[in-house]
Amino acid sequence: MGKWTRRAFIGAGVAAGGALVVGIAVRPGNPVDQLSPLVAKGEGEKLINAWVKIDAENIVTAIVPHVEMGQGIFTSLAQMLADELDADWSKVRILEAPADAKYSSSHIGREFLAPNLEVPEILEPTVSGSFLSLATAMTLQITGGSFSIRGTGQRAMRTAGAAAREMLVAAAAEKWKVPAAELRTENSMVIHDKSSKSEPFANFAEAAAEQNLPAKPTLKSPKDYKLMGKTIARTDIPAKSDGSAIFGIDADLPDMKYAAVKAAPVVGATVESMDASVAKNMPGVLQILNMGDFVAVVADGYWQAEQALATIETRYSKTEGDTLDQDALFARYATMLDEAGDSEGDVETENGDVTNAFANAATKIEAEYKVPFLAHATMEPMNCTAWVRDGKCDVWSGTQSPLMARKTAAEVSGIDYDNVTYHNAFLGGGFGRRSEMDVIIMATRIAKATQYPVKMIWSREEDTTQDHYRPSATSRFQGGLDENGKAVSWSNIHTHLFDPQEAPTVPYYKIANHKIRKIDVPTHLRFGPWRSVDHSQHGYFIESFVDEMAHAAGKDGYAFRRELLAGSPRHLKVLDKVAEMSGWDQPLPAGHGRGIAFVPSFGTIVAEVAEVDMTGAKLKVKTVYVAADPGFAVNPDGFAAQMESSIAFGLTAALYGEISIKNGAVQQSNFHDYPILRINEMPDVKVEIINGDHKKLGGAGEPGLPPLAPAVTNAIFAATGKRVRELPLSKAQFT
Amino acid sequence: MKAKLRALSPCLLMALAACGSDPAPEPTEQIIVREPGAQPSAPDASQTPAADEAGSALAEAGKQAFNSCIACHTIKKGDGNRIGPNLNGIIGQAAGAVSDFRYSAAMTSSGITWSKEELDSFLANPAAKIPGTTMMAGAVSDADQRAAIIAYIEDSSAN
Repeated sequence: MGKWTRRAFIGAGVAAGGALVVGIAVRPGNPVDQLSPLVAKGEGEKLINAWVKIDAENIVTAIVPHVEMGQGIFTSLAQMLADELDADWSKVRILEAPADAKYSSSHIGREFLAPNLEVPEILEPTVSGSFLSLATAMTLQITGGSFSIRGTGQRAMRTAGAAAREMLVAAAAEKWKVPAAELRTENSMVIHDKSSKSEPFANFAEAAAEQNLPAKPTLKSPKDYKLMGKTIARTDIPAKSDGSAIFGIDADLPDMKYAAVKAAPVVGATVESMDASVAKNMPGVLQILNMGDFVAVVADGYWQAEQALATIETRYSKTEGDTLDQDALFARYATMLDEAGDSEGDVETENGDVTNAFANAATKIEAEYKVPFLAHATMEPMNCTAWVRDGKCDVWSGTQSPLMARKTAAEVSGIDYDNVTYHNAFLGGGFGRRSEMDVIIMATRIAKATQYPVKMIWSREEDTTQDHYRPSATSRFQGGLDENGKAVSWSNIHTHLFDPQEAPTVPYYKIANHKIRKIDVPTHLRFGPWRSVDHSQHGYFIESFVDEMAHAAGKDGYAFRRELLAGSPRHLKVLDKVAEMSGWDQPLPAGHGRGIAFVPSFGTIVAEVAEVDMTGAKLKVKTVYVAADPGFAVNPDGFAAQMESSIAFGLTAALYGEISIKNGAVQQSNFHDYPILRINEMPDVKVEIINGDHKKLGGAGEPGLPPLAPAVTNAIFAATGKRVRELPLSKAQFT
Repeated sequence: MKAKLRALSPCLLMALAACGSDPAPEPTEQIIVREPGAQPSAPDASQTPAADEAGSALAEAGKQAFNSCIACHTIKKGDGNRIGPNLNGIIGQAAGAVSDFRYSAAMTSSGITWSKEELDSFLANPAAKIPGTTMMAGAVSDADQRAAIIAYIEDSSAN
C-alpha cells in the first residue's frame, strides 16, 4: 500500500510508485492539475482525476481522502472506486491523500472532480445544500461520524471510478474508430467484442486525459456490482500483522529528541512554578519547559524524559474546578433537572400534548438513568512529532482530521500554511479521540521552542487523565400507557447535548405525544466525540425506558417495540431479524435472560439481543445477536467487523467504563482502574446484514454500539428482575 | 439528511475550540540543559578543570587509580619505602636506583630507565617485563588506568 507520508520517514521506504513511465496527462485548467505533483511521484505519472491514477503497468491507484484507524476504510473505498472503474482488483493500489485542502471532503464532486460535473441523481441529496458550503468553508478532511462510505464513498469514489472509466472508453473508441457504445470494460481492460480487440487501460491513459470530463458518469446498479457487496480482504492487514505498518508513534527523524509531558491535573489550571533541580542533572535531559498549561521534558530518549519529568515538583494555580467531586457533579445535574421541572429547558422535539396525555394515562412510568464520563483509551498512546525550523514546519501523527492538523500546526508555529506539511500515518485506534488537536498543538509548541525535531508521547496516565471525555449525563423520563398498554406519551429531559442532534429523539417510534428537552450543565472538563457520540448515552436511556414501558404494559420487549414500529417496514425487518436470530421465544434456563434493543444511528438501523448468564459470581454476557441494515454493505466482512468491535468497545464501557472526578481531577490513571474487556469476557457475536436500500447508505463504525448496553441491562432485568439505571455495571449488585 | 450533517459537527467544534484564542503561548520558563549532540557534562562540571589542564585532570583520575598501589608504594617525597620502593621522582631514573630499597637482582640488572613508556609496559605485566622481579602483584591491565597512574606519579613528583 502506498503511503503518501512515507518518504518523510527515514528508514520506512519510499512511497509506492517506482518505475512508472507513462501516465495520463492532465489537461491544463483542470483543477486536478494542481494536485498531480502531490500524488504523482513517478516519471511521467499523472492523474486521471483526484481519486484515481493509472500507470504504465496498468496499476490503478485509488487515492483515499480518509484515514485508516482499524476500520478498514481504505479497502472499502477502493472497492467502490474499482468497481465503477471495472478495475482488476489485483492491480488496485491504495494511497492515503495528503493533507491538502483540495482533498477536503467538501470539494468532493462538482468543485473538485470537475467544476461542471453533474452528480448522479441518486447522490444529489447528499451533495447539495448547506453541508457543501459549510464544509467548503471549514476545509474538512475528517474521518468520523461513520461517514466515509456513505459520504465520500457513495458520492465521490464511485463517481471518480465511473468518470475515469468513461474517459478510457472514449479514448479507446477514438483510437479504434468504433462507437463507444460497442465497448465494454472488464479487469482493467477495454474490450471491443465485435473486432475481438482488447487492450489494458494503461494504453489509453494518456488519451483518456484529453477527453472531456463526463458531465454525468453513469453509476452501476447493484446487479452489476462486481466488487461492492463482496467480502474482500483488507489491504492494511498484512502490514499490521508483520509489524511493518507505520503508525504515528513510529515517526523517526535524524536527530529527533523525545518529550514527556504532564499537564495540570485540573483542566484550566496553570503551572505556577516548577522545581526542576533534580531533573536538570538527570541523564539525557536537554530541556525542561514550563509551557504554562503543561510541563515538558525533552531528552535524548523517551525513558530519560519520563524519568526526569517524574522528579519535577509542580505547583498549579487554583481554579473553580478544584472543588468538584463526582457526587457533587451528579447532584448538580439533579438540581438543575429539578429546577427545569416540567416546562423549562431547551425543547428539542415536541409533538401533541404530552402533559395532558401523561396526566390522563392509565399507567404512568417514571425513571431516571445515569452514565459516567468515559475515556477513549486508544491502544496507541497519544503522540505527535514536530519539527519547526527555518520558516518550515513538519508534523507527524495519526489524526482523524489531517487538514485541521495542518491548519493548527500553521497557526501554532506561526509559519505560513504553504510551508507546513502534515504527515499522517495509521491510527492505533481513533474512536473520536484523534479528532482532537491537543497533541498537535502541544508538540508544535515544544518543537517551536526547541527548534529541533521532537517526538512527544503521552504516558498512559496522561491519556487517561487528560482525555476529551464522553460526557456523563442524567436523563429522566415519564411515559404514559393507555388501558390497552399502548404508549401514548413520552417525555424526556436530559443533561447536555453534544452530537448528533437527533440522538435523544425517537421519531421511528409511534407515540402520539412526545416532548424532549435538554439542559446544559457547565463543567470544567473537556468533552469530545466518543464512538457513537451522544447515541452512546441516549441509546441506553431510551431503550431502557422503552423496556420499562413494555414491562409496565405487561408486554414482551420485542412485541412492544413491534407495536411502536408499526408502519415502518424497514425498521421492523431489522427488529424481526434479530428476534429470529436469537430464538427470542425459546425458553432459557433459570438465571439466564435475553434483552433486546433497537437504535438507528448514523444512517444504519441496528437491533441487538444480548443473552446473559447471571448464575455465576460475575455476570456473563454470553451472546450478542446483531441485525443491521446499512442500506448496502460494501464489504460485508468489514461491516460485520465494525459491529463486533462496537460490541467489544460498548461492553467495555457498559461493564467497567467510568471516569470519575475528585477535587476537579480525574481519579483513574491506567488500565488497572480503567479496565477494558478481556478476551475471555468477549461474547459470541452473530451478525446478519440486511441490504435495505442501496441508494441510501448508512455508516458502520458507530451504529453497532448504542444498542449494546441496553440489550445487556434489559437481559439482566429479564434474568433477575433488577433494573439497571446506572452504568457501569461494575457498580451494581445482583445478589 | 440533517442528521448526517450534524454527525460531523462535534469533531469540527472540538477542533475549532482546540485551536482557539491563543493557540501557541511560548514557554513561561525554558531551561536549556544542553544542546543536542553536546557531550553530557560531569555532575560537578563547574569545578572540573578546563581542557588546558587535561593532564592534571588525568592525574586527578590517577589519584583514584593509584589506590591500587598504595598497599606497597608511597609517592610523597620523603615517605619511606614499604614492600615496594617510594615512587617519587621515579620517572627518568634508572631502574633499581631508589636508595635503601632492596631490589631483586633482575631489577637492578635490567638496564631500564623509567620513561613513561617503559613504566607503562612494566605495569601492564611486571613479571613479563622483568622476569624475576619481586613485584608479584599490581599488574594494571587497563591502559587508561596505567596512563592515569603514571600521570599521577609524574604530577606528584613535580609538586
